[in-house]
Amino acid sequence: MSYYRGICNFCGTGCGHLLQVEGNRVRGVYPLPGHPLSRGRLCVRGWHIHELLQTEERITSPLIREGNSFRPVSFDEAVDFTASRLKTFSGREVAFLGSPRASNEENYLFGKFARAVMKSNNLSLTSDAGLEESSRVLLEGCGLPAMTGSLSALRQADFILVVGGDLTKQNPIIASEIHFARRSGTFVATISPRKTQMARLSQKHLRPNPGTIWLLLEALARALRTEGLVRGDDLEERVENARQYLEYLDSLDLKQASESTGVEEQEIISLARKFYESESAFAFYPVGIQSLDRRSMSALLNLFLLAGKLDRPAGGMCPVTGISNLLGSLDMGVSPAFLPGYFPVEAEESWRRFEELWQVGLNRTPGKSAAACLQEDRSIKALLVVDHDEEIIRHVNRIKELEFVVYFGAYQNAFASLATVIFPRLNYVEGDGTYTNSERRVQLSQKKVEPPAGIKPMWEILSRLASALGQPWPYKSAEEIMTEISRVVPQYSGLSHEKLRASLGLRWPVDDRHPGGTEFPLAEETGRGFKFVFDGAADRRQSLRSGKEGVFPFKLVVGRSNYFWHQNSVMKRTFIPRREYNALLLLYPNGFVEVSEEDARALGLREKQPVRIVSEAAEIRLATRISPDILPGMLYIPYFIEEMISGFLHRQVSELEKNEEFFLPVRLEKVE
Amino acid sequence: MYWLPRDQVRALVNRLAESYAVYGPRRDEVSGEVVFDRLEELERLDLQAAIPYNPPKHALLPQYEEILKYLYSKQSQKVTIEKISKVEPKALVGLRACDLNGILCLDRFFLGQEFVDEIYLEHRKKLFIISNTCVRPFPQCFCVCTDSGPAAGEGFDLDLTCAGQGYLVLVGSKKGQRLVEELGLREAGSEAQNLREKIVAESVSSFDNFALENKAWVSRATNRLTTGFIKPEVWEYIGNQCFECGACSFVCPTCSCFNVEDVNRVDGPTDRVRTWDSCSFEGYTKMAGDHNPRKPVEDRRNKRFFCKLSYSQSKKYLRPGCVGCGRCARVCPGDIGLPNVVTYIRREITGE
Amino acid sequence: MDNQLVPIVTVPEVATVVDIREEIADVRTFYFTFDRPEIERAFRIRSGQFIMCTVFGAGEFAVSLPFSPENDRKHISVRKVGKVTAALHELQPGDKIGIRGPFGNGFPFEEIKGKNVIYVAGGIGLIPLRSSIVHVLQHRPDFGRMILVYGARSSRDLMYKDSIREWQATRDFETHFTIDRPEPGWTGQVGFVNQLVAGLNLPAENTVAFVCGPPVMFNAVIKELKLKGIKEQDIYSTLERHMKCGIGKCQHCAIGRTLVCVDGPVYTYRQIKTLGEQI
Repeated sequence: MSYYRGICNFCGTGCGHLLQVEGNRVRGVYPLPGHPLSRGRLCVRGWHIHELLQTEERITSPLIREGNSFRPVSFDEAVDFTASRLKTFSGREVAFLGSPRASNEENYLFGKFARAVMKSNNLSLTSDAGLEESSRVLLEGCGLPAMTGSLSALRQADFILVVGGDLTKQNPIIASEIHFARRSGTFVATISPRKTQMARLSQKHLRPNPGTIWLLLEALARALRTEGLVRGDDLEERVENARQYLEYLDSLDLKQASESTGVEEQEIISLARKFYESESAFAFYPVGIQSLDRRSMSALLNLFLLAGKLDRPAGGMCPVTGISNLLGSLDMGVSPAFLPGYFPVEAEESWRRFEELWQVGLNRTPGKSAAACLQEDRSIKALLVVDHDEEIIRHVNRIKELEFVVYFGAYQNAFASLATVIFPRLNYVEGDGTYTNSERRVQLSQKKVEPPAGIKPMWEILSRLASALGQPWPYKSAEEIMTEISRVVPQYSGLSHEKLRASLGLRWPVDDRHPGGTEFPLAEETGRGFKFVFDGAADRRQSLRSGKEGVFPFKLVVGRSNYFWHQNSVMKRTFIPRREYNALLLLYPNGFVEVSEEDARALGLREKQPVRIVSEAAEIRLATRISPDILPGMLYIPYFIEEMISGFLHRQVSELEKNEEFFLPVRLEKVE
Repeated sequence: MYWLPRDQVRALVNRLAESYAVYGPRRDEVSGEVVFDRLEELERLDLQAAIPYNPPKHALLPQYEEILKYLYSKQSQKVTIEKISKVEPKALVGLRACDLNGILCLDRFFLGQEFVDEIYLEHRKKLFIISNTCVRPFPQCFCVCTDSGPAAGEGFDLDLTCAGQGYLVLVGSKKGQRLVEELGLREAGSEAQNLREKIVAESVSSFDNFALENKAWVSRATNRLTTGFIKPEVWEYIGNQCFECGACSFVCPTCSCFNVEDVNRVDGPTDRVRTWDSCSFEGYTKMAGDHNPRKPVEDRRNKRFFCKLSYSQSKKYLRPGCVGCGRCARVCPGDIGLPNVVTYIRREITGE
Repeated sequence: MDNQLVPIVTVPEVATVVDIREEIADVRTFYFTFDRPEIERAFRIRSGQFIMCTVFGAGEFAVSLPFSPENDRKHISVRKVGKVTAALHELQPGDKIGIRGPFGNGFPFEEIKGKNVIYVAGGIGLIPLRSSIVHVLQHRPDFGRMILVYGARSSRDLMYKDSIREWQATRDFETHFTIDRPEPGWTGQVGFVNQLVAGLNLPAENTVAFVCGPPVMFNAVIKELKLKGIKEQDIYSTLERHMKCGIGKCQHCAIGRTLVCVDGPVYTYRQIKTLGEQI
């Protein structure tokens, strides 16, 4: 046998694949038919994961910095050295940056190491902001911190609303499911300023001006009211704060919203009707890097609550994660906001629970994200990082100032060079681990090849470090860690590797009541407290005001491509996706900015004409690419040209990564 | 024709395993799906299983294959180049007729044109092929439209047709004859030929209406494609739905486009690697220096369907480039597998 | 005549770079000899063919051959455009490269004997034509009028300056040179190649033309040649395509039903017109 079942480790779709293994090497990949979600499909990235798994740019030995170079050391030496240094820092002096690509077992242990061993709550993921926001909004609004819908039921939906991003590029197989749904009769509407492929595949495309998605969503809700579809009476029974929300909503003037968003009132009303009349409705929005912003997520949730779509089976809110185990990492509490299982750090009983479970005293001072620590906290002295797979390292100067940096990574990359100690890590086919995709599906990825000699599993490295720091950890395998997770994380209480081996993934909650997992958690439980999530109307007025139109008349938005993905540190180790990325670069070696046909005409720009994009903070020269895909007044730069990111967006990149809705006010100058 | 009782299939496979690595269809125990795989555990061979999700192409044209290894020392100006030829003999057991026809297409393409592809030849000459008649069609199949099934006509060493408690065995080569004799199979008797024909006819008649209806349409689509009388809007409609994943090429038994890369290994030498490629990728035709002769997605799709269905391409394969296995339809995120493309062309013709 | 061409198909033959010449910005000429004497002796090409050149450790690329099949030093002229060609530009004399080929059909030689031959080239388009020019010069009595029209952006962008000087001094070879903008000291024409062609008195009967250059120039020149009465089937060019194998298998260079590596790279304009893709 040479084809082994596995889970694709690129995006948060979690497609099933078959890896062709010969002579301890992964030689090929093939989609796994019969996988409940991917049903035998893969995207261009998934079709080339074997190329990545063949790369020899691995870290193969523990390394300790000596001056400007690294000395290979034994595993024992690296452990002893690291432990002796970590001993010298207090919990608040250390920050932990976990990887959304690492398994649940690894993330759980990483978090436990931070909180229980190092007594630090400064714990986060590289790209968690969007997901964490989404989880908070959903927790507050419906009590479930993740996808309330189910991807496998998508084809039965009446109505699908895709908000922001371009799913065909970010999570192509989920986009494919939506496409199939549309082909079998589902009404698909896309809301995005840019004419994406997803938009092309939809029956309806509403194009709000950049920065106004949230307003359009509120306008859709408002239209349900003006059209008399939703009255107040029964709403108060269903949703806790209905009265206050309706007050808030009714203060919105639909005409004015139409003007601000640039979407015609009639379009808003007709889409609202279509949505309201549907038997079952799904909403999809991206989380992770370039996530939808909190405001839009809340507006979307409110729209669904208002129309009563959340408590029915077949439908729901679907945050789509951009990285394989982004959701699982948050499930495992790699977050300043939640302990494993979404126990909020604000609650005293959360801490008591974990002190009891872990049999150790915990530090209850709230922590911050690693990024926030680096940005604002001068007391941080040490940083532990797992598989940072972005090319651009934020706060690089601050990191250089730190006394001690530990890097756990599989591949050589820019971050490793900043470390004091480097521990080599297994890649995902060299050990067992579970990964949780966008739809809460926990899937077991089994070991397929032997790792290069000397590389230890993450649980072994962390166990040895914990023991050296005075807390002997007993773990002997990833499987044992899952046993502990099932005791600690209620949503995972019915999970074990044994059970997962015989399945193609189970959707949490998996517990006594749902031993086979749960497709629609909200529909099954009655009496769940629903709540609208919103700030005040004054806040809305504030958001609508914007000051810089005169000097920076254009709204610059940044997007992604199929081949360039997460700053390409992963994709550049493949052949075909790398070539496709380079193919784009060949046409525009110094990058391009997309300008609408209307603006190009008005400014007298021709194709490939050099232009200068000027923002408050920086400027850059690019070639013009005239595109029918974007709105007048908007500029678009695909998020793939490294030099451009480091040279121009660098200072603004943390802002840009915050959310999909963010845009940069800029002006465009012709270069003759 | 010979008779192979069902309980002797193991003996046949065991015999093959003495000289060949045995490949065949097996069922995945969890997903229940069928994979064409290398079988160390011979009992996993499942001749009753449906058409495998993957074609046997990987046994002849691996997805990732080192074809050369070289080492160049600039100090001594010494170059050593070796051709990698660790190709093992393989027995492909239980090939469906479509997949056998796929291999025959690859043969004509790699061995029958101006140049012989030495690497493919290395794999091909060490092959033992046992085909397996589809006694009933599977849901996605349309080999009756492309003249490539449900039974094999040529190219096998042995051919099996399930008939009750065993298989009718056709011999297609000396190698096959030898194996039949070594196993001591008995002659199947005078009625065997008729029986096989009857089984095949029954199989043909049980094809889905979709396949039978499409039979004439495939050739009309071929005609349209060759003459170029398909409106650009049809290609645009198809192109808009393309996710550019390359899957249609990767799963096609006859698609053989490849890429070549030189990969430097950490221990010094460089491997020249050839990997599957697809003409649906933008970078596929891209040349260094700002020039891509085939740009829009719909053009790239167009190229692939031309390759599968046009007369001129058929001349290279001596048959249509599509063997009707239906895999591209199952694997396509955009739902634009070949049967749907034929449907769109048909709609254009009939104005539906 | 020894027309026995046995191309090197799969395993590259090692050759030594013996000399490197800077032609124009980013274009260098690499002279090479095969390491194995028997290959050095047996290697034969036709004008218009190409080889696959391996830069060890970087990769392989297709490149057209500028040298004559007879009595000419073996060389290639390569513009630095990508990873592999950049690695080639790093090489020093004495370094090794790998060669497969020659591949492709090549320009007709026997068929055009007795005819007038016109060469029109723009920029580095002279590279693939050089081989044929030198070859025809070597058999000058077999041909009619022989004309070269060559243009580049500036005098610095003219390829093969040594050959040009030689050709200018060759009897029975009419040469015309042009650059886009005037320059001090430039004695040739100023303007685009097609404008120069338009003003020339060219034979139309019993004439073949070879045209190579950037697409805009190519199309403009074809228009002029047709106005002069030269038939589409008598205009030849070579196509460049992305190639991985050179032997008609990888399909990267497929244009409709033709494979540039085996059916081309030399096509008549009449064929090119029917290929359907952008040139």
